[in-house]
Amino acid sequence: MSNRLRTVLPALHAVFRALLPALAAPIVLVLGLPGLAALAAGCDPPRAGSTHARAPAALTTEPDPFAATESRARMPIEAEETRQATAVLVQHATVMTAAGQRYEPGYVLMSGGEIAGVGEGDGPAPPPGTLVVDGHGKFVTPGIVDPHSHMGVSPVPQTLGHDDLNELTDPITAGIRAEHSFWPEDAALERAVAGGVTTIGVLPGSGNLIGGRGVVIHLLPRLGARAMRFPGSPEILKMACGENPKRVYGEKSRAPSTRMGSVRALREAFTKARKYSHDWESWAARKQHPVKTANGSTDEAKPPDRDLALETLALVMRGDILVEWHCYQADDMLAALEVAGEFGFKVRAFHHALEAYKIRDVLVAHGVAIATWDDWWGFKMEAYDGIPENLALMTEAGGRAAVHSDSAVAGQILNQAAGKALAAGRAAGVKLDENDALRWLTANPAWVLGIDDQVGTLQAGKRADVVVWSEDPFSTYARAEQVYIDGRLIFDRGHFGAPWSDFELGVRAMPPLPPPPPLSPAGATP
Amino acid sequence: MRARTRLRSVSFAAIASFAAIASRAAVVAAFLLVSVAACPTARAEEAAPIAIAHALVYGPGTRLPLVDATVVLAAGKIVSVGSSASMPPGAIVVDAHGKSITAGFIDADTDVGAVEVAMESGSNDTDARGLLLPALRMVDGYNPRSALIPIARSGGVTSVVVAPRAGALAGQSAFVDLAGDTQAEAVVRASLAQYARADEAEAQEVGTRGVLWMTLRQALDDARFYSTHKAQYDANATRTLGLRRMNLEALLPVLRGEQPLVVTVHRASDIETALRFGAEYKLKLVLRGASEAWLMADEIARAHVPVIIDPLEDLPEAFDRLRSRSDNAALLSAAGVSVVLSTFSSHEARLLWQRAGNAVRLGMDHDAAIRAVTEAPADAFGLKGYGRLEAGAVGNVVVWSGDPLQIGTRVEHVFVRGREQPLETRQTLLLNRYRTLPFGHDGTR
Repeated sequence: MSNRLRTVLPALHAVFRALLPALAAPIVLVLGLPGLAALAAGCDPPRAGSTHARAPAALTTEPDPFAATESRARMPIEAEETRQATAVLVQHATVMTAAGQRYEPGYVLMSGGEIAGVGEGDGPAPPPGTLVVDGHGKFVTPGIVDPHSHMGVSPVPQTLGHDDLNELTDPITAGIRAEHSFWPEDAALERAVAGGVTTIGVLPGSGNLIGGRGVVIHLLPRLGARAMRFPGSPEILKMACGENPKRVYGEKSRAPSTRMGSVRALREAFTKARKYSHDWESWAARKQHPVKTANGSTDEAKPPDRDLALETLALVMRGDILVEWHCYQADDMLAALEVAGEFGFKVRAFHHALEAYKIRDVLVAHGVAIATWDDWWGFKMEAYDGIPENLALMTEAGGRAAVHSDSAVAGQILNQAAGKALAAGRAAGVKLDENDALRWLTANPAWVLGIDDQVGTLQAGKRADVVVWSEDPFSTYARAEQVYIDGRLIFDRGHFGAPWSDFELGVRAMPPLPPPPPLSPAGATP
Repeated sequence: MRARTRLRSVSFAAIASFAAIASRAAVVAAFLLVSVAACPTARAEEAAPIAIAHALVYGPGTRLPLVDATVVLAAGKIVSVGSSASMPPGAIVVDAHGKSITAGFIDADTDVGAVEVAMESGSNDTDARGLLLPALRMVDGYNPRSALIPIARSGGVTSVVVAPRAGALAGQSAFVDLAGDTQAEAVVRASLAQYARADEAEAQEVGTRGVLWMTLRQALDDARFYSTHKAQYDANATRTLGLRRMNLEALLPVLRGEQPLVVTVHRASDIETALRFGAEYKLKLVLRGASEAWLMADEIARAHVPVIIDPLEDLPEAFDRLRSRSDNAALLSAAGVSVVLSTFSSHEARLLWQRAGNAVRLGMDHDAAIRAVTEAPADAFGLKGYGRLEAGAVGNVVVWSGDPLQIGTRVEHVFVRGREQPLETRQTLLLNRYRTLPFGHDGTR
């Protein structure tokens, strides 16, 4: 390696040196000085909310009907019950808050859909009517947030009829929304909840450079994505670099068929979006200050034609949409940061990011999080250098790391993934504690999705998304025994009702474990 | 042994600290020195028995592990398993107090050695093209220098079945130990078992389930006919047979019941058909995949057919596994079926312990789960001396820092045929290179 690298390195060095000011610029713009100071002090940079607070200039003449997040559709299972009716107090358990505390024993009080109290000991005397759960020997954590899921858009069973993952008709489909592909009867959703997951970021696939907007789903069984959308969650955009888009379009003999083709396509798209944004701004300005024409009438300037894709990209550049960028290799992430720097937008998180450990200092300096697996690797070239210490090294460097699944199987055992990454990090000498590992599952992915002000830690005032585990959640043997969302018990192991999914009606029997149920009658073989 | 282990860890520490200050070339040189220096010692030690002492030992046929037990290895084999009092004289003692010992794990269905990077077809020897390929032998493509092998080994897997993947009759698997630089060293059985695919996906390849079973029957019928008409066949005096000679020959050990036929099926009714097919041709059957096997547990147990499953497969992924459930392994095991757990993977073979741990989480006995990755695969494929910690068995032994199926437990020593194996992998080398960042905040090195 050394000979080739030695010739390449000085050149690379010069390039990165030259780029450094450009790369640093967006940080200053978005965070401002207090943000930088906080970063330097090792504190969390300002939350997502601050990026949403910018005054929106008119981009369209009409409100976006899909920007609203209030639940409208009915719930099939608890049709009349939309809020937590009964307060719940879990006592005598080991409570891990993901905010640094471990109460042993501790309590969590859930009331009105929120965490009303958490702390050491038995907690306050429960108000009358409170359901008290004896948590002896149990562990309590915040609900797991899976920041990268394709449940609903690539559901089980895998069928032609329900494969709605990738809109592979153009490499840039920024105008589409995963929520319009989401099939709420996906049988994987209930199994994820049984694994302690309460919120998922559902993203379009990675076949396109810009796959479209994702949707944050709160895992309550409802009849449509609109009703399942996490209240107040920001807009998120799925982008992809590296192998997938160039393979998909290269095979169609279309652009991009190379990484350089991919970067060009992105730069052209954002250049168009910049002009689009500018057109709307000038229209708005002219509308506000109409120009009198020669004959004395006012200029009846027509608004520009609305373009859903360019609108999305314009909102990205304005900081109103969080960028969730699928990238594996270090060099691809560096190139992506260059594009982001050129157009002045921030990358919220690199997803998969298997080589993040190689450039963790750069990612930390840019305030970019990673969402990744614990130890998947090798299925393609860009995944060949994945190592199990990735999450740990990113955390050690002061970065924000989250565990994701990208798989309906892995999504059921995310707690094990964090446990394995914790063990791998410790074996490599990284100083980590269980709070760090828990944050990989809850607080950090919540930040990746821009909902960390609502969930991710057990703190008074947050949504009561809570999991009661049979034992230490970082044990192979741990099972989620109870899962609460907004304070309502939505999964209770050993009390299986009808399946959530209409598809599974009449198919599945889930008696409690063990003992095993009576097995099928011995049928006569034909 | 202890001295050598300590020496090695010191050397690694030294390398790590060098890395911060020395050039890459110096590190590489240091590495070479260490490995060269270690070789003669290793050879010299082969004569002396190795006693791994004071451990929790998951022994043969016991429901509970033996406490404070010792495993003695010599000449590539396990010499004894028993009380720590009976230490052989002259043995190199490895103190495994607080550790546990198992037979090396066997992943019964992998692509290890057949693929480096799954999506790079040049490095992927699993995508055979053809429908009836019984003469295909995975051993011919097996690469003992694959980067995946040390990684699988670092997860406590000492042997794998390298299985063919494509075709209604997919070919013959190989059984290999995960050590040795040549096929000659690594391969234990060049032809272990024959494979048939009879699931929904394969039925789609030929049209329908009916056509698929008809095709399989036709192949076995032709092979059976061929076995009694070899002379006429060679004289070109038989009816036309659907398979070439080498393919017909390859099916003979299957028809004689000597070689297992591993059938991939999922739907309960497909399992019924497979069992009927096995009885019809008097085959030694193994079921693979078998998502809905729990619905047929009694029938499978009665037929003494082992089942290879992935305990994490609980999703109704396709219409032939709508009744998948997470406790498939537990239910089958409780019904007396011989359950073999596998990752069905290449890069994830190192996580076999986690699959077994999940089977326990989902209701299987801990002891049964360990047997499902040691004894059970050995028994399913008739691999005498494998998968057991007992005198006379092959010296494939793993020392774990704790419960082998628990997160956080580390693999501390791996012995293959009595020889300790390095735990260095391509991934540990990457970790060492990037453990401290030798470059600035702009991505330059």
